[in-house]
Amino acid sequence: MDAALVIEDLAVQLRGRGEVADILDGITLTVPRGSVTGVVGESGCGKSTLLRAILGILPGRATTPRGRILFEGRDILPARAAKPHGRIGFVPQDPYLSLNPVFRAGDQILEIMRRHAPGTRAEHRAKLVELFRAVQLPDPEAALRKYPHQFSGGQRQRLLIAAALCCDPALIVADEPTTALDVTTQREVLGLLRELVRARGLSMLFVTHDFGVLASLCDEVSVLYAGRVAESGPTRAVLDTPTHPYTRMLLACHPDRAVELLGIPGAVPPATAQPAGCRFHPRCPVAQPDCRQDVPPLLPWSGGRAVACPHAARMEAHALA
Amino acid sequence: MTALRHLLRDPVAALGLLIVVFALFVAIFAPWIAPRPEDAFESNIMLRLQPPSAEFPFGTDDLGRDIFSRVILGTRSALVVAVSVVLAAIVIGVPIGLAAGWRDGWLSEVLMRVTDVFLAVPQLILALALGQLLAPGLTTAMVALALTYWPFFARTVFAETRRLRGALFVDALAGIGAHPMRILLLHVLPNAAPAVLVRATIGMGFTILTAALLGFLGVGAAPPTPDWGLAVAEARQHLPDAWWYATFPGLAIMLLVLGFNLLGDGLRDAADPRLRRSRK
Amino acid sequence: MPELLRAEALTTDLGRRAGFLRPAVSLRAVDGVTLSIAEGEAFGVVGESGCGKTTLARTLLGLQREAAGEITLGGRRVSGLAPAEARRVRADIQYVHQDPGAALDPWWRVGATLDEGLRIHGISSAEERAARIAEMLAAVGLDADFGQRYPHELSGGQQRRIGLARILLLRPKLVILDEPTAGLDLSVQASVLRLLAELRARFGLTYLFISHDLTVVRRVCDRVAVMYLGQVVEEGPAEALFANPAHPYTRALLAAAPHLDGRAAGPSLPGEPPSLRRIPAGCRFHPRCTRASALCAAQAPPMEAAGPAHQVACHHWREAA
Repeated sequence: MDAALVIEDLAVQLRGRGEVADILDGITLTVPRGSVTGVVGESGCGKSTLLRAILGILPGRATTPRGRILFEGRDILPARAAKPHGRIGFVPQDPYLSLNPVFRAGDQILEIMRRHAPGTRAEHRAKLVELFRAVQLPDPEAALRKYPHQFSGGQRQRLLIAAALCCDPALIVADEPTTALDVTTQREVLGLLRELVRARGLSMLFVTHDFGVLASLCDEVSVLYAGRVAESGPTRAVLDTPTHPYTRMLLACHPDRAVELLGIPGAVPPATAQPAGCRFHPRCPVAQPDCRQDVPPLLPWSGGRAVACPHAARMEAHALA
Repeated sequence: MTALRHLLRDPVAALGLLIVVFALFVAIFAPWIAPRPEDAFESNIMLRLQPPSAEFPFGTDDLGRDIFSRVILGTRSALVVAVSVVLAAIVIGVPIGLAAGWRDGWLSEVLMRVTDVFLAVPQLILALALGQLLAPGLTTAMVALALTYWPFFARTVFAETRRLRGALFVDALAGIGAHPMRILLLHVLPNAAPAVLVRATIGMGFTILTAALLGFLGVGAAPPTPDWGLAVAEARQHLPDAWWYATFPGLAIMLLVLGFNLLGDGLRDAADPRLRRSRK
Repeated sequence: MPELLRAEALTTDLGRRAGFLRPAVSLRAVDGVTLSIAEGEAFGVVGESGCGKTTLARTLLGLQREAAGEITLGGRRVSGLAPAEARRVRADIQYVHQDPGAALDPWWRVGATLDEGLRIHGISSAEERAARIAEMLAAVGLDADFGQRYPHELSGGQQRRIGLARILLLRPKLVILDEPTAGLDLSVQASVLRLLAELRARFGLTYLFISHDLTVVRRVCDRVAVMYLGQVVEEGPAEALFANPAHPYTRALLAAAPHLDGRAAGPSLPGEPPSLRRIPAGCRFHPRCTRASALCAAQAPPMEAAGPAHQVACHHWREAA
């Protein structure tokens, strides 16, 4: 399979105050070219650290990470590796905080292009206007001269999508780009992303906590729990027949699906005190003695999926979901 | 206690605390620590302008007095000036800031414009003028300093109150029916305290510096009181030959001002419960 | 079921008084809202940011003074009063903030915050206060030692539980919940929703549930009002309204909510989100409405019955079905 991004056995720890936080452990995932791969999980699952590792902006207190992040045929994870500036576009979470309010939005994007894209300033401007048109900003020419506060929230997110696209990236990484938006605006932005992926053949890694958004945009998905992949595979298969006990219980919490809102007993463990063995075992209704010791490997499952639970079949019998 | 522990974990702030505690200790026990406490007032012309030696670690001044003893004895007046000026400024400035920041309206406008007027008065000129009107002396200098320093507290507290009155927790308190006075005194004031504390600590250093300057200009402490600023002024005529005369009182000023400033920065971080670690 | 709260043609202006060299600013955030909440029901108010739902809540509470209209609580008229007095006579209404963490004083341990509410409400016996706090912490599912913590030491779900405990201690009849699940993880959201249901049954509460999340409102509420630009455009039993939305805006909102099955139902909502600074003439929704006619631009539609207890303000709701 032709892949835009391959992550192999990535592990990241953060040091601080005499403690070591185990943020990511053994993350393996692939973003196929021309499709959208979702990463979904609750707070504390390591989503943002994963993004930072890909973008090469891990905080200074991160220990030397383990594993590989292969992008365009080379490992971009080591600190000394050349960073693929401009080749990976980033769409941030909060459109209100991501633009400097005292500079024109257009100038801020042109500055990125000046540093990372070939061509003259005039070419950059022409290309940016074309991009503004592609992200359906009203009056693209005039938008170049406007300041961030002159755009609405949805328009700002479109600006940031244009910024992510400005250096013809081979991969787009998006961090919950619609959480700050109203539902109707979110729908528009999701529609735009779908359209851009289709028309431009983009490859995208889309991080979210919202299964509804995931369902409407992503082809593949990896479900993260406490820094590990719990389950991955085609989105429809994972959502329709969740297999890992965590995925099952989490989806059973969705108001669309829940017969009775149960929640998941317990809480996500703090990253400084991850349980041994399977990290979900203290909250798992079908945990077995071996779950306390052995780290479950990602096993292949039906429908092109992989599930990190050797006892997943027991959930069938368990009265849930 | 947690705040103190947090403070000590920060080496720079701990250094500031060490300096300030050391100065307090010296100020309280000055008459017993100083090797020649009688030198506060008595002169000994035979020994004038001796360079530092085993007998006089900081040398002697133009009246033959032990500078080491006089620096130690001067600590008390420096701290008394700093603490009383800053306390007086807090007592005037904080209520004005709270009252002006809480509600918009004519009262707020009047209070803040008065504050602005006081802020515009040059500190030294007011002190010099008061010195001419009243008797020049330490008390006059302190009145002048307090009169010019309270607007900084009023401004700080005003800004904090403005910020906090829009805070969600203030709204929530209004929602459960809390009286505005309760909100202001039990919630807004403690939340503004770190800013006041930082201001106060840095203000201590600033006051010591200005008091020394006033002593230097002859409107502060009068001879023969052991005063650091006064000592630097008196040393002027004997520079550069008697380098020790101005150096050691000057170093004392610098060290104490630095101590207060380092402590002020450390306190700001330590006093905020959000930055403290949980005690689980 | 007897009526607990009634608002008649309620109107609220937001703005600042004129100051020195500063003109008064005024925005009509709530414009002629009429609603009636029966004892024991969960009444949902949905709409996007800027629709006036939070201002409506603050007006009902008495934190914001109404410009016109009448509020009755338990049959007693409680409007037309100065804010402090209004809050006193409306002590039966309490409000849980959208961000319950920020609604707690960061300098106070949460136990002291809980205690303060009881003190303000005249419970002078320390033993009684302690007993009621212990009982309430248990009711919201927290250990008694949570009282010793500072707000920043609590997770999002725990902050919400404390926020609920704080106001339930005051024994209100009507609880206004402002976006009670915003920013929560799915599993935490499920447990919070379950807790809300339990508390409602246990204490005989009536809820006014403000949310933009339709999937949640659908699960929790008995009746729902949809707001757009300060007005209620549709109101009815939750079942009927979600099954047969009559107003085009309700339909667009429903279509925009992402669902697990990934369906993209109906057309998306074009145009920019509206602003209270530029309220369109006629029907306020007409510039974004696909069914708008000349009549819509000229004349505001009246509320019409669209079914049993189901009302809609649209000239063309019959054709839309």
